[in-house]
Amino acid sequence: MSRNETNPASKQDAALENELYQKRKKLYVREVHGIWAKLRNLAMYSLLGIYYGMAWINWNGQQVLLFDLPARQFHIFGFTFWPQDFIYLSALLIIAALALFMFTALAGRLWCGYACPQTVWTEAYMWLERLAEGDSRKRKKLDKGPRNFNFYRVKTTKHLLWAVFSLWTGFTFVGYFTPIRELAEAALVWDLGPWETFWIFFYGFATHGNAGFMREQVCIYMCPYARFQSAMIDRNTLMISYDPKRGDPRGARKRGTDPKTIGKGDCIDCGLCVQVCPTGIDIRDGLQYQCIGCAACIDVCDDVMEKMGYEKGLIKYTTENALEGQKTEILRPRLFVYIGIISLVSLMLFYALLVRVPLEVDIMRDRAALFNENRKGLIENVYNLKVINMDKDTHRYTITVDGMDGIEVKGGASIEVESGEVADLPLRVQVPPTSIRERSSEVFFNISTADGSGIELREPARFLGPVPR
Amino acid sequence: MPTQPASPQQSDQIPAIQNIISVLWPSFLTASAATVIFFTLFDPIELGRLLGWELSRMAGYTGGFLGFWLLTSISCALTCYFRRPCHRVLPAEESKNEQK
Repeated sequence: MSRNETNPASKQDAALENELYQKRKKLYVREVHGIWAKLRNLAMYSLLGIYYGMAWINWNGQQVLLFDLPARQFHIFGFTFWPQDFIYLSALLIIAALALFMFTALAGRLWCGYACPQTVWTEAYMWLERLAEGDSRKRKKLDKGPRNFNFYRVKTTKHLLWAVFSLWTGFTFVGYFTPIRELAEAALVWDLGPWETFWIFFYGFATHGNAGFMREQVCIYMCPYARFQSAMIDRNTLMISYDPKRGDPRGARKRGTDPKTIGKGDCIDCGLCVQVCPTGIDIRDGLQYQCIGCAACIDVCDDVMEKMGYEKGLIKYTTENALEGQKTEILRPRLFVYIGIISLVSLMLFYALLVRVPLEVDIMRDRAALFNENRKGLIENVYNLKVINMDKDTHRYTITVDGMDGIEVKGGASIEVESGEVADLPLRVQVPPTSIRERSSEVFFNISTADGSGIELREPARFLGPVPR
Repeated sequence: MPTQPASPQQSDQIPAIQNIISVLWPSFLTASAATVIFFTLFDPIELGRLLGWELSRMAGYTGGFLGFWLLTSISCALTCYFRRPCHRVLPAEESKNEQK
């Protein structure tokens, strides 16, 4: 938006404002073929493939990607994470955000054009719409035509197709949060829990609305990224632009006419670039915040240029500098700053994962008594240990105590905990009265395995005792 | 509510759909973030035990999310309500403006 403000044609602002509050016109987006459309389709198939397929992949009898909310465990490619591991997720989010900034600085809204779920599902829903209603011309005709049997038949078919796809999408979504195979079995006999049912319909409904009806309005009104994109774009950013120097003045002409002989530019003003635009803008008006960088206009314009016998690239990925005949510097400091921070955070994340101990022990003192003296005259404190095995294997943990002379766990302590389980272990720790120097002393619990996994943990605790006289 | 402003002065008449979006959508985003952070720190089962309720985790998450969403929606709706231009607060003023 700020770019429009710097635009010399400031009267455009008023027009833009008007446009913002206009009633939305339904778009009949024309299908496009070409190299960018192929790339976009490739992205769509792979991303949808990953989304719908990944939930079904099992490895060692365990769903490869499962954010098991009912069990509060997150299984990611053989690793099990817990809510306590939130910090790793934050690091991952920082990396993702910085990568988004970097790619935007490099080539504009690549994310929006190729990878954003809104774009991908909209493409899928438009594909289903084409199946039911035909191409953009037929769709327009149908909507303008009479409300006859055929109209309702075609519309019902489309909405049924969308509804099935939406429910499948919602089902898959829930399948990432509760095991999908069990969910499928439950769904087949219509025995889903109320919450699962709610979320399947909620997510399905949201997909249906966003990809079927809202479409470009999501990008224009709802997307936060579109609002701050200008902060990441500079004169060296590759953007989809129309070359006004080459194209203007525009005008219709016969095929193969040399534009110079009729005093016109290369643009034949066929309007196809507007017809294929999923957000309904005219790329020839310059950079607009509605442009999601899908490159459909490049494909269609290149096609026209080829048919006219002109050079391709009237609309292309180019930079502001290049359009003004200046040198484009792709490798510029801000890119290196992004790459630097991304590498740093990735290294930190990698290191943190490497040294991560898949074990957590919470030590709570028994609140019933501060301490007791047992029959042998030893001072005793009672603790309750909560041992959480965050590893993928079962382990037997041995617990020892140190920090005071003669301190020991009564009867020794060891416990076997299955993978992903939490075990409670009450312990009595004894100390000879002679080694008590303070009312409260610091002691350490050492929790280790003897199975060669090398998992060990040292946790501090307080030991209370009578002050010696 | 007219969807297209008759004059630039009336361009503050925002279409209903945009008002609905600006209440439901930002609140959805903040409610999602709040739900993730809140339930990272607190286990619904433990919370239910404190309140003396029999609560499954899924119910806790869903209820928590919807509760957060309700709160954040109220706050967004109030923002929308209060950001109405001051010159339009009194009906008399509004009709005067429209006459211009």
